Parts: sequence; C-alpha cells; structure tokens
Amino acid sequence: MTCITLIHLDPAADDFTLVATGVLTMAALPFGSQGGLLIESAKLSDGKLVRRILAGEADLYRILVERYRREFGRYAAAMLSGDSDDAADALQEAFIRAFDSLASCKDPDKFKAWLFRIVSNQCHNVRKRRRDYLSLDRVEDPAHNPADQDLERKEIGAAVGDALDKLSAEQREAFVMKHVDGRSYAEMAELMGVGEDALKMRVHRAREELKKHLKGLL
Amino acid sequence: MSDSDRLSHDVQRYLDGEQVGRLDAGERAQADSLLAAIETYAARLERPGSELDSAVMRAVRARSAPTPRGSLWQWLLQPRVVSVRPALAAAAAVALLVVGALGVSLRQRPASVGPAAQAETILVRFELRAPDAEQVTLAGSFNDWSPEGIELVRSLDTGLWTGTVPLSPGEHEYLFVIDGTRWIPDPSAHAQVDDGFGAANSVIVVGPRGVVRS
Repeated sequence: MTCITLIHLDPAADDFTLVATGVLTMAALPFGSQGGLLIESAKLSDGKLVRRILAGEADLYRILVERYRREFGRYAAAMLSGDSDDAADALQEAFIRAFDSLASCKDPDKFKAWLFRIVSNQCHNVRKRRRDYLSLDRVEDPAHNPADQDLERKEIGAAVGDALDKLSAEQREAFVMKHVDGRSYAEMAELMGVGEDALKMRVHRAREELKKHLKGLL
Repeated sequence: MSDSDRLSHDVQRYLDGEQVGRLDAGERAQADSLLAAIETYAARLERPGSELDSAVMRAVRARSAPTPRGSLWQWLLQPRVVSVRPALAAAAAVALLVVGALGVSLRQRPASVGPAAQAETILVRFELRAPDAEQVTLAGSFNDWSPEGIELVRSLDTGLWTGTVPLSPGEHEYLFVIDGTRWIPDPSAHAQVDDGFGAANSVIVVGPRGVVRS
C-alpha cells in the first residue's frame, strides 16, 4: 500500500483545493483523470512532468510553474531593476510561451535549462521595451517596503541596484546568478551554456565595477 | 579602472566561496562589506507570488494542450514563420515576382493577389550545417523567440538544415535551436549583436525592395 496525499482539483477554480488527505491504494487513485492531481506529482522530476503534460495532463504544468517561479523569481526581479511587476510580467509570459513550445523541448530532463533561456530572453525583451520609452530608474517607493526603516541599509540596497543597472548585460546576469541566486559556477554554466572560466571572469569584473560604484558607501 | 577599484585574487576567490588560506584584516573587511551590501540588496527583491501560478494556468487552460511533434504531412500543412539565410533571398524574391506576374497575366485577373502583408514579405532561406542534430528550429524576433516556431528540414546526405521564411522588411535577430535546447547563432551571418545576456544573436536586414543583408 502506498501512502499518498490526495488533492482534488476543481477545474472551475483558479487554485487547487485540498479536500482530503489519507491513505489510498494505487488502484483507488484517479490517475490521469482530469479532476484529480496527486501531490506526489510535485516530487516528480522535470522530465517526467514534461512527458506527462505532453501526454495530455496539462494541469501538471502548474507544478513546473510554481517550481520555477520560486527558482527564477529573484533572478527576474534583479534583471529588471528590482521591479516586481515587470518581473511577474516577464515570468508569466515566459511560462506561457514555454507551455506553447513544450513539444519542442527535445530533452525533457533538461527542461530547466531550456526554460531558463526563455525566461532570460523574456527579461531581456522587457528590459529592452522599457529602455525604449523609460529610463531604467529602479523602483524606489518608500511605501513599497514600509518595514524597512533603516535608511543606511536602504541607501546601500538602492546603490547596489543602481550599480547593477550600470553593468553590461552579461556581467549583470552572471553577477545576479552568482550572488542573488547563490548558484555555483557549474550550475550557471549548465543553465547559460557558457564556460565556467568565462562566467568567473564576468562575476569578478562585475564585483570590481560594483566596488567602484559603492566606493563612498562601503 | 584604477588599482584601488581592483579586488585581489584572494578576495575574489573568497567571494567565490573558495577556500582561501589567509586574508589580511583589510581584505577581509572589504570582502565582507561587499557581501553585506549585496545581501542587503537581495533581501529587498520580491519574488512574484503564487497569483502568478494561477494567472499562467488560466492562460494555459484556455489553450490547446501541447502535443509531441506530428507527422511530416502535418508539419507541411501547419502555417509557420521562418528564419534567415540571405544568400538566396534576392533570387527567391525575383522568382516570386516573376511567378506572380505570370500568374496575373495568364489568368487575366484583377489585382486581388492576396493580403497586403504577403506583398510586403520577402522569402528568405536559412541554412545550418548540423549533421549530428536531430532537430533544428529557428527562433527570432520575428516569431517572439519561440523555439518551436520554424522547423528546418534536413538533407540526409549533407546534414544541411534549411528552411524558407517570409520576413517583413526591417532588421531581425535570430538563433538556431539545436535539439530543442542548444541556442546558437548563425555561423554564416555577417552580423552578430550582443543579446544582452552574454551571448550573441545573429542579425539579418531585409530591405524594402527585397534586398537582404546580414
């Protein structure tokens, strides 16, 4: 007997609704039915999820969206000058585009790197669009984070944001992945398709640029 | 950049998370203050919340489910956009004009040749030699960078992948997508531009009279 937590999905609702948990036998599970989704699915690898989505279980896509909204969320925000609305727009568009193109993901086990490229391009497009008619002033609304009363920290955070906007695009992306996302160079290389040595160089240069911009504050 | 803006090799290694034998107090303070500033910045970034998941799923449910690739016949019937190789574009454009003119004169039809948009597009042929690839598609600014937008066809003998795409006059950026995961610029393109993320996009320029430059 397999212990599985069952979630019922109401197709009319925006969100899944947890209606029951319990111990069920595999035979009792509504596998593949449109109205049911197993929380066990949330543990499935990207590759298995992609294959099942392509086989018709489109609702499983939500698991990938949640997984990578968390993973790429701060990346998108940092790439878009800290503007969380732009980041949400870019990610949403990227996820929809990825769904539409899912059949072209030749190696579902490498879905993450495939999706990252789409997210990266989308962030680039949003940034480019903004640049066409707006200056890239980072959103600095005092009411945006009312809990932050520490003026010095606020000033430093804003200065880092300004400094990041002045970096070249490739330095900014490498720096964000290293220091905002906390990724290893090996993982960055896999996601970006760029060699580790080149990425190290970009991060090192970005740090020096950052140090230069923050000279009066550090 | 002046020497005072540089970070020593050991400080860079320390910031990379590597084991560093010994940093003097000044270097350690320098590195730690930089890390603290970055952490302060990162802590202020807001990830999009779970409402994004719902918005995506609403859009997804309104669409047809993605399916594995169909037959060649389905592919041939499916309307699609295409990518670039300028070499034969001018010839293709001339051929198109000749055929169009013949068709009009033979059938003695009035000018309803088709939508205006068709008259404003130039057929451009894209090529990539990739004998080991199982699939090559074309993604670019002309199809919103969708990696499944334009699938190229392989010549079994030569490993040459080709596709002909109608493009509007103007500048277009594009990349080839190998096996759905590897994005590469066109090695034969004459112009590459920074894609803003450390890689290069190939560029093609379609002129208003069908002249194509790359």
